[in-house]
Amino acid sequence: MQFEIGRAYGGLPPPEESGWPHSRDHQYSLCLICEDRPGEEFRALPWLAGRSRRPTPRAPARMVITWGSEPNSRIEEIARTIIETPFTRRTWSELLFLLTGIPIAFLGFAFIGVTLTAGVVLAITFIGLAIIAIAVRGARGIGGIQRRLAAALLNEAIEEPRAFSPRPGYLGWLQSALRDRTGWKAMAYVAIKVPLSIVAFFTAFSVWWDAFRNLTYPFWGIANHGGLAEWGVIQVLFHPGYLSPWNSGPIVGLATVITGVVFFFIAPWPVRFFDYLDRLLMRTLLAPDAMTVRIRNLERARAQTVDASAATLRRIERDLHDSTQAQLVALAMRLGMAKEKLADPDHLDIDQVANLVNDAHKGAKEAIVELRDIARGIHPPALDVGLEGALATLAARSTIPTELIATIDERPSPAIEAIAYFCVAELMANVAQHAFASRATVSCSQQGRWLRLVVRDDGIGGARAVSTGSTSSGLSGLSERVRTVDGNFEVTSPPRGPTVVTVDLPLRA
Amino acid sequence: MPVRVAIAEDSVILRDGLVQLLLDRGFEITAAVADARALKEAIGRERPDVVVVDIRMPPTFTDEGLRAAIELRRQHQGLAILMFSQYIETRYAEELLGDDAAGIGYLLKDRVADVSQFVEALMRVASGGTALDPEVVTQLMGASRHRDSISLLTTREREVLTLMAEGRTNTAIADSLCVSEGAVEKHVTNIFSKFDLPVSQSDHRRVLAVLRYLDT
Repeated sequence: MQFEIGRAYGGLPPPEESGWPHSRDHQYSLCLICEDRPGEEFRALPWLAGRSRRPTPRAPARMVITWGSEPNSRIEEIARTIIETPFTRRTWSELLFLLTGIPIAFLGFAFIGVTLTAGVVLAITFIGLAIIAIAVRGARGIGGIQRRLAAALLNEAIEEPRAFSPRPGYLGWLQSALRDRTGWKAMAYVAIKVPLSIVAFFTAFSVWWDAFRNLTYPFWGIANHGGLAEWGVIQVLFHPGYLSPWNSGPIVGLATVITGVVFFFIAPWPVRFFDYLDRLLMRTLLAPDAMTVRIRNLERARAQTVDASAATLRRIERDLHDSTQAQLVALAMRLGMAKEKLADPDHLDIDQVANLVNDAHKGAKEAIVELRDIARGIHPPALDVGLEGALATLAARSTIPTELIATIDERPSPAIEAIAYFCVAELMANVAQHAFASRATVSCSQQGRWLRLVVRDDGIGGARAVSTGSTSSGLSGLSERVRTVDGNFEVTSPPRGPTVVTVDLPLRA
Repeated sequence: MPVRVAIAEDSVILRDGLVQLLLDRGFEITAAVADARALKEAIGRERPDVVVVDIRMPPTFTDEGLRAAIELRRQHQGLAILMFSQYIETRYAEELLGDDAAGIGYLLKDRVADVSQFVEALMRVASGGTALDPEVVTQLMGASRHRDSISLLTTREREVLTLMAEGRTNTAIADSLCVSEGAVEKHVTNIFSKFDLPVSQSDHRRVLAVLRYLDT
């Protein structure tokens, strides 16, 4: 069965506290809810739970999981896996990856070998260096092809390394190419991939080959005795004639086909093993180094911060334009009318003027309230006295009875205080609007260099931090905001509650 | 016969205020709507003498009012339009004026505070004149490449220039500066000769001439 999963949340809640289904090992729970079957929760299978990493806010909130019913016992599970594996798409794409890797490795090796040798031989001249540079650039290209193959066939998403950005000029290009670490690492990958492919071909692939041979024995064995080459690990290890096609006879034939069936179910696993080795190799040699990944994440976070502050300014401008400015213009207009009426004492209608002044007075008071709300949205004045005081104000102002537990020894930096404040404000607003909760708890504690905020309510649960396409809920907006300072944002909100949102922020950003 | 006005303004407070003000001053309101589409429909039903349009309206809150105004001018020959905005963007002014400044106004919303002046400007636009916010002239002078010629103007000439660009007649300028009409005429002639422009008799033509000059 395949479900579009609407919600996925995880964490390490003590089962007795959370009250929602959890996996057997309690190590990690992944709870899945089908959009078309609301109210029903599916406990994650141990194999799924074990393999899933703890979802960070970065993890996609929508995922498709191929779902089978949960097996009753471990043995049943293993048996089921063995029987199902040869018929899965994954098995065949893994085989395809193994096979396509071979020509790529050999062609790549030949290309690099020829260019590198020529380059080294000619290294005395300038041309030699250029040829070596071409070898490095070529290796980078082969690395790219491998990454794309791995993404398409193995579902192994290896991040793109930093793009090749040569310095200007021919010499600059040459220098950049020769010093391109990514290219040299890709070259090392190709060099290791060649022997790996050879071994994989003669062991892992030969099992498939033998499975195919033995399964099809009745067809070709009769027609053409021993027409196929004799190679492969099974043939080498068990060469004796009981498998050999030229030992004919119905019993031998049957035995051959049965062996073929056995091989058929074994065959996926060696392939998977070699692909796994290849994965490790690609992760080491074809992925960007840690620094590049870090820089990329920082760049992403910076872009988000810049966008967020631009959006905030736009929102403030809109608020001012729509409410306060309009309010003040109307106010000035009413006073202007009143003034002109008063200037003409002959036709003075005192009631009319009184009405105008009344309206103006009302408008002025409304403008003050609106302006105060906008100002509070920019920077909560309560924060001036510290986060604890500000949170206490928030808790006191909430329509739901809210308990605040705050233990902060060291004052976080202003930016962190502001993020913490807005997170709690937004979360409490969510509690008031959506949770149908009777009470809520806000806790704010310092844990080493981190500030941990926990907002908990006893409401109906089902909160989700989904960002599908361009629309993003309030929760995912908060999560993005927290991520800009390398913080962590986690929501556990099963149906029927309780909802617990945990925000971890560094004390200094 | 009262001047008939259609209003398009998304802020309820302001719209109601405008309606109240204009009714009080003896105008007739044919429509008071909140967005450009409703305005076009309303004008299709009943053509007013002048339309007051807010530039920034739903759904995108950018320049729908301006777009609607340009379209309305194209559909209804000679329909007078007063643009009404929190900000002055000279680009908007140019787009709106096009080749014909007759029956066009562009004012800051703040101007309604001086009720009489606002009403006067609206009347001027309704009768085919021009009413530009002094801010338009100030902005154009600030950004103009003809700073040399502008710096040649005397203080009085600048005052006259601003009032003239607003679309006022010589008589009105003379009234507002408490000088004789002859003196104003002299100032106007001076300005045009300093800018090296041919003197034009029609009020709104000379507005365009001055704006074009400042803008290039």
